[in-house]
This record gives sequence, structure tokens and C-alpha cells, in this order.
Amino acid sequence: MLAAPLFWLTVTLGVFELFDTASKRSGRHPLCHPVLWSTPALIGLLLVTGTPYAAYKAATMPLSFLLGPAVVGLAVPIWAERARIRRLAAPIALALGAGAVTSIVSAVGILSLFGAPREILASIAPRATTNPVAMSVAGQLGGIPALAAVIVMFAGVSGAMTATPMLNALGIRDYRARGFAVGVTAHGIGAARAFQVNATAGALASLGMALNAVVTASLLSIVALLV
Amino acid sequence: MLHSIFLLLACQLAGEAVHRLTGLALPGTVIGMILLVGWLAAFRAERPALVAVTGWLTAHLAIMFVPACVGLIDEGALMARYGIGLIVATAASMALTLAVTALVFRWALVRFVPEDGTETGAKPESIAA
Repeated sequence: MLAAPLFWLTVTLGVFELFDTASKRSGRHPLCHPVLWSTPALIGLLLVTGTPYAAYKAATMPLSFLLGPAVVGLAVPIWAERARIRRLAAPIALALGAGAVTSIVSAVGILSLFGAPREILASIAPRATTNPVAMSVAGQLGGIPALAAVIVMFAGVSGAMTATPMLNALGIRDYRARGFAVGVTAHGIGAARAFQVNATAGALASLGMALNAVVTASLLSIVALLV
Repeated sequence: MLHSIFLLLACQLAGEAVHRLTGLALPGTVIGMILLVGWLAAFRAERPALVAVTGWLTAHLAIMFVPACVGLIDEGALMARYGIGLIVATAASMALTLAVTALVFRWALVRFVPEDGTETGAKPESIAA
């Protein structure tokens, strides 16, 4: 029974649901993000039952498959925000370019100081993008998609938790600048947090996430051609 | 509803095809996203079903990458060796990116978008600097 796809799919949904309920009770605190708790719980279950990851991965394919259409669907918020994109074209383009380059260069630069090999550097390079994009970009660059997924989660949770005090310390009061910066650096988890603070910040954060997925992936695909 | 799902899959498929044929490292899904923006621009219509389907997908994005995160089970040795470096690099990169993006956005807002501060409810920024 443990080998049937239905089993692990059901267990994954059940475990996630459990931690999602806990997350709701916490008022969606970033540290209670359900992925943060479902992942170790499921790893524990795989170890206890002696299930190889390949079998689990095959069983949960229906979930992973949905990531593709979900990324394509990011076109909808981009299109819906076109009037705002046109009006704020200069701030959006400049901040996006500066943010994407800063993210890639600082993450890869600092990690290389620790002597990390190329597959690890490739896994951290797309760390500011939304998870499915980070996983496929990391894979393209010869990185490890699972590692990219965990790095992206960590970036999102830490970003969502520290963005408000950091932006206050920098004296950034405009909710458009605040939201956009959070979306560019902390993707969906940051955007969820931004929506809790302010609707404008949330809309700009979603936009920052969607646009950064395109910009970071494009920059890294150019890098891939050069190295 | 069905049409919206078809549209998403068709854009993804076309993106995947472009990805394979051109050898671009840009993922097929991201190319598909760009294609869908183009489609929405070319064929303008109210699309409540597409908004509903993509809204549902985005709202449930988190559970979709749980299986990938569980893949960490096979990366124990790497995490033990580079875990500290990964945490330091990710946290520092996150903080730097947040600061740079917000500061550039604010500077460009003041510099290039004159009619400012209307939709935020925030106090207008001082332009003295």
C-alpha cells in the first residue's frame, strides 16, 4: 500500500493541511509557514517507513505538475497591473534590475567565499525568484532543485519576518517601494506578508515577484550561455 | 474554466517547445508566462474564469513545492558541509536586495514620477535630499 501513489499523495495533503491550520491559528506568522513544518515531518515519515525519495517523488507528481501552469498564470497579475506598470515604469524597471543583480551577485559571491562548488552556487543564484522558477533555473544551471527550493523558502521566511523593521530603519515610507522590494527579494512569502500590512504593498509585492521571475531567470540564462 | 486550463497548458507547452528548440536556459514555464501576457494583450477580453483558475493555483502554490523540498532528504551531506554558508549567503543577499530595491524604487519614484504619494496613504517623501 505504501508504494501506491494514492498513499503519499494523501499523506502529503493531510500533513500540509494540519500545519496549514496551525499557520492560520498563528495569524500566518512566517515562522509557522506550512512548508517549513510539512517538509521535516514528511522526511521523517519517509525515513520511518524506509521509502526512497524517488518513490515519493513519483507518487506526488500530480502536485509538482501544477507548478508549471501556476508559473504561467503569473501572467494574469502582470497584465491586470499594466496601468500601474506603465505609470511606474521607471521605478519598476530600475529597482527590478538593481534588485535582481544584487540578489544574484551577493548570494553567489558570499557563498563562494565558503568554498562551495558550482552545483551549490547554481542552486543559490535564483534564490529571489518564486520557488518553481528557482527550481527549474537551478536545474538548468547544473544546480540541485531540492536545495534551491529550501534556500528560496529560507529567503522568503527571513525576508517576510525582517522586511518591516529593515524598511523602517531605511526610512522607506512609500508602500509601493516597500511592497515591490519585498516581492522582489522574498517572492510569494513576502507578498503574503505584504498583503497583511497594506493592499497597495501586497499588489506591488505580487508584481515584483512575477516580474523578478522573468528578469532573474533571463539574467541567469544569459550567464549560463557565458560560463 | 476548461478553456482557461487549456490556455495555461497551451502556453506552457509552447514555452517548453521554444525552450527546447532554441536551447535557451530560460525555463519553458517562464517563456509560457511571457507568451500568456502576449496572448492577453492581443486578445482583450474579460476573463473571470482565468482569473479564478490562476488565483486558485497561486493560493495553493506552497503545497505544490513540498515534494521538491522533501528532496532535501538526499542532500544531508551537502547541508552539513555548506549549511552555514548557505544561511549566511541567503540572509545577507536577502537584506541587501531588499535595501537596494527599495532605495532605487524610491529614488526613481521621486526622480521620474512627479505626481506622487496619492495612492499610498503614506506621507509624501521629502524631496530635500
